[in-house]
Parts: sequence; structure tokens; C-alpha cells
Amino acid sequence: MRILFFAAVALYAAAVILQFAGTAFKKNKLLKASWLVFLAALAIHTVFLIVRGIVARRLPLSNQFEFANAFAWGVALMLAVLRTRLKSDWLSVVAMPMALLVLVYAALQPMEIHDLMPALRSAWFGVHIGSAVLAYAAFVIAGSIALRYVLAVKKGADEDDLKLKQMDYLSYRLVAFGFLFLTVVILSGAIWAEQAWSAFWTWDPKEVWALITWIIYAVYLHQRLRSKKRGLGMAWFLIIAVPVVFFTFAGVNTLLPGLHSYG
Amino acid sequence: MKKVWNYLRSMRFGILLLVLIGLCAVVGSLIPQGRELSWYVENYPSFHPTLFFLQLYDVFKSWYFLALTGLLCLNLTLCSLVRIRSVVRGGRELRPRAALLPDEVKLTSVGVKKLEEHLLATGCRKNEQGSARVYSKRLVGRYGSFLTHLAILLTVIFGAAGLSLPQVTDRDCLPGESVRLPDGAEFAVRSFRSTDESGKLDYASELTIVLPDGRSRSGEISVNHPMSLGPYKVYQQTYGTAGSVTVTNLENGGSDDFLLPEPAFLTLDNYNGLWVLAVYPDYYLTPDGVITPTGSADGDYPNPVYLLQRSEDGVQTQEAAFPGTVLEVGGLSYRFNAPERYPGLRIKYTPAIINTLLFASFALMIAGLYITFFLQPVLVKVDDEGYAVGGPKPEGMRLELKELLGGYERGE
Repeated sequence: MRILFFAAVALYAAAVILQFAGTAFKKNKLLKASWLVFLAALAIHTVFLIVRGIVARRLPLSNQFEFANAFAWGVALMLAVLRTRLKSDWLSVVAMPMALLVLVYAALQPMEIHDLMPALRSAWFGVHIGSAVLAYAAFVIAGSIALRYVLAVKKGADEDDLKLKQMDYLSYRLVAFGFLFLTVVILSGAIWAEQAWSAFWTWDPKEVWALITWIIYAVYLHQRLRSKKRGLGMAWFLIIAVPVVFFTFAGVNTLLPGLHSYG
Repeated sequence: MKKVWNYLRSMRFGILLLVLIGLCAVVGSLIPQGRELSWYVENYPSFHPTLFFLQLYDVFKSWYFLALTGLLCLNLTLCSLVRIRSVVRGGRELRPRAALLPDEVKLTSVGVKKLEEHLLATGCRKNEQGSARVYSKRLVGRYGSFLTHLAILLTVIFGAAGLSLPQVTDRDCLPGESVRLPDGAEFAVRSFRSTDESGKLDYASELTIVLPDGRSRSGEISVNHPMSLGPYKVYQQTYGTAGSVTVTNLENGGSDDFLLPEPAFLTLDNYNGLWVLAVYPDYYLTPDGVITPTGSADGDYPNPVYLLQRSEDGVQTQEAAFPGTVLEVGGLSYRFNAPERYPGLRIKYTPAIINTLLFASFALMIAGLYITFFLQPVLVKVDDEGYAVGGPKPEGMRLELKELLGGYERGE
């Protein structure tokens, strides 16, 4: 099973290298090759997650290795869906490395399969953690689009250009999607915590940082929807928010011990 | 005064409060909360006076955090009240108002035809308003923002109630015994196990709850599966390990089993007998043969050892015993058994309505967010010259139509 994981990592890495080379040398063939390799990586990654789930007899979402895998898979899947729907390749150069980055983090975690501890054996397990995968992946892709937007503007693109406006709008839609799922994460976590620990909210560091992430994206959505702020400023906002997402995902478990430390 | 009122209900104030709450949360997550004050003195030698002054050791119960939360509730209440008027009134006026919008894009007649075909094909309803046609769909989307803000307000209120109202009692209870609360509610543990049928770790207690009004319920509780009856909810919270001793009266042959979670003196005459001081999971023998008890990292008891004090004719002697050991002191025989586990129960008393209201708020919030972001209203006014996009969130439609009709636009 490990070979599937490392094959996926290697293929994602190859796709990223081909993507950079294709972009730098403006070679369409390299970009096409990058995309095919990326799809192969995504397919193998999907098989790996399914096999691991079958072997573990549960959703493969229980520890940092599994969650990072699912997170990277979510980023890759969203990229594949968006690229297919947009029929355009502008997102790959920033989003592919994000998926690889998360997967490299996964590779640094212990990979053994363990039984779920009693506190994790709940019907809320899939809802809570699956929603987190979707939310974090959406935020990372939104940040990637924002980065692409900033790079385009720095290169001299006009912010009134329809393409840039569509990029800006797409990042907002992804944040909206991620925000809905982050809310599901927090609320399902509260219901689960009440069943497992007897309190809806315990100010555990993971809960607190999920709330902080929620507040950050709530501020973004208000700025965008009510104050009608658009463009470069909001793109920077989304780029700066991505490290907060990564900290909530990995930093909290590593640096701030709490009830979620097993994750 | 009006300025203050307007500011209190403004989005700017709401965002300021969210940012301040977020900053408090960052501090509260970085500084360990709720420890003994001496811990902070030891770990923050130069910073602790400021830490105490700002109550950073308990940020989430500090006066300023509670004040910020209260102000957020006020802000949400005021903005919900303002919204409710515009949501109710605005609904009736949406289409007539859209009909009055000046064209924002001028189209050729072919472009107008293509636009109207596209709007009908994507499920919009056509409404004639004078010389203009107003196309609309998903107008329910205008309620989303109001519902979401109302749900956040209710979640904060009922969440605060859900955190502050419950009375929580933590009790250890040996199998066969019961916990009785001052109001007469009784919680009897019949048995406890720490693994399931397949041998996986799973802490579970067989339990019966009897309420003062006579209602009762029996069943199993385990981690993640508490049991409720009336306002009570019982959780499988922790477990402990108790020594197990069978004591037999050597004179009449009568015997009894004792589970001993704490030190106990087992005696007939209060003079001669055996103090069972503790039971340890494991031990090692020193080179000179002394038994030294040790703990265990995983909570198991691989080689349990009892630490005892024999009291006989005024002489006290320390000794150890293992499961299977039999000792005789003061007319009693003590047979030591393998230690047994017992549950630690958490008994929570909450008015049941709080949970119901909180769950309803959660559901409302999810519904509100879904309506806000995924049922965005479409309102397009079309006339023979061109079109205008109205409604609360016109951006997506504007971009869609711009892309669709790029080749049909007319210059001024």
C-alpha cells in the first residue's frame, strides 16, 4: 500500500516540475504532459485512499497522515474539477504545488494504521472531518487563485479585464463553499463534543483556531459582499489567510496540545 | 445619539468585534488556560503581572471577552431587526424596482433576443413591468443573509446557555453500587467493561437511572453514547482500577467480596487486620529482592501487586500480595483477586429545551448559509435596448452575461 502513496507523491512532484518547466519555457506540450501526469497521480492517490479505507475498515481520516492525504486529495480533486469546468490551465501552476506541499507533510507523519480510539467511533466522524477536508481544500484553492490573480496584476494585467474579474469571483465562490463547510465542521464538532465530552465547546486550541479561521473568512465575505471590496486587496487577504488554514490543520496539533492532539 | 445607534448596528462595528474576539482567541490558545496561578508565576516570571492584570489565564471568562460577546449579540440583534424590515418589504418591491433600473449594458436586438432565450432556458420567470421584462429566479435567496445572522445570534445565546446552565457531577461508581444525587435521582452501575466483543478498547457501563418522579431507564453507556432521561444525561467519562479482595471469616465461614478503590482497613475488631493501601499495575524486584511497585503507560495491569500493612497485636508490618495470594490475620482470611475496573460517570443536568434550541440554531445557520451562497437571487431587467442586473448579489450574473453577450454589446 505504501508504494501507492509514494507513487502518487512522485507523480504529483513530476507534474509540478513539468508545470513549472512548461510555464517558464512556454511549452504547451510540457503543460499537457503535466496535466496528464497530475491526473495519473490523482487516480493513484484515490486508489490509495480507497485501499487504506478498506484495510482500516473505516474512513481514512483518523490521524495527521490520513487527514493530510485527504486534504491533498481534496485540493487535487477541486483543481481537476475547476480546470475541466473552466477549460483553462491558469490555476494549475499555483494549485498543484499546494497539493504536493500537503502530501509532503503527510509523508513526514507516521503511516501506521491504528484502530480508532473510542472517542472517534462516532457517526459524526465522517461528517466532521470530511467537511474539514472540503473546507480547507476550498480555502487553499481560493488562495491559489488569489495568488494567480496577484501575479497577473503584477505582470501588468488590467483589473477590469473580464478574466481577472472571473478569477476574483471564483475565489469568492470557493471561499463561500469553504465557509459553509467550515461552519458544518464547527457545528458538527460541537454536537459530537457534547456526546463525547459532555460540553458543546471547551475552548480547546483546535476549536479556537477553527473559530479564528471562520472569523477570518467571515470578515472576507463581509468585506466582499457588503463593502463591495474586490481585486488586489481581497486577493492578498486570501493569500495571507492560507497560512492560518495550514496552522489550524497542522500547527495546532503540533504546537498546542489539547483534546484534538490525537488527530 | 442616532450616530451611536447606527454605529452599533453597523457591519463595520460587527467586523471590529469579530476581529477583537479573534485576537482574544489567539491569545487564549497560545497561553494555557485555567491553570493554578502559581503555574503562571513559574512559567511567565517577568510577564505574569500583566498576565494577571489582563486575566490572560482565563481569557474566555474575562470581563472584556464577555463584553465583546455581549456587544456582538447587540450588533447582531440590531442588524437583524433592520434586515427583517427590508427583507419583508423588499420582497414585494423587488421586481417593480428592478424594472426601473437604467440599462447598464446596451445590446443589439440579436443580443436582447439571445439574452432572453438564455434567461428562460436557465429557469428564470418572466414578468412584464411596463415596457420592461423582469426575469427572476431563486428570490428566496434574499432571506439567506438575514437567516444566517439570526442563527448566529441564537447560536451565541443558546450556546452560552448550554455552556453555563448545566450542573455537572463527576462520580466514580463501583459495579453493583449507585450514585444518589441530592434531588433523589439515582444512577446504579450494574457492570463495566473496557473492551467490546471483538476485543477492541471500548469503555461501557450497564446503567439504570431512576428519577425522583419514578421514571426509570436502563441501558448501556459508552464513550460517544451517553444516556438521557429527563433533564439528566450520563456519560462514560473515565475509569479507575480497584483492588479486589475476598474476605472469609475463619470462625463461621462467611465471606464477602470487596472492591477497594481507596485504602481500606479490613478487620473484625478494629485492632487486628489488614490495611490494603494500594494496588499497582506492575513491579520490579531490586537485586536484594525488594518489590518496588511501578505504574504503566497504557493503563493496563500486566503484573498487579497489592501494597499492604499487616496490623497484628500492635505490630505493623509492610508486605505485598499478588492475585491468588491468601493471607490470614485476626481471624480473617484474605484472598487477593485480579484488580477490577470501574467507571467514572459524568452526570449532567440541563434543561432539555436548551439543546433543542441550540440544535435548531445550528440547522438554521447551515440553511441560512446555503441559501445565501448557493441560492443567489437572479433579477435581470431587459428592454429593447439592453439589460440591467439587480438584486442583492448581482456580481455572478453580471459576469455570466458579460461573457455570454460580449459580442452583442452596442457602443454608446
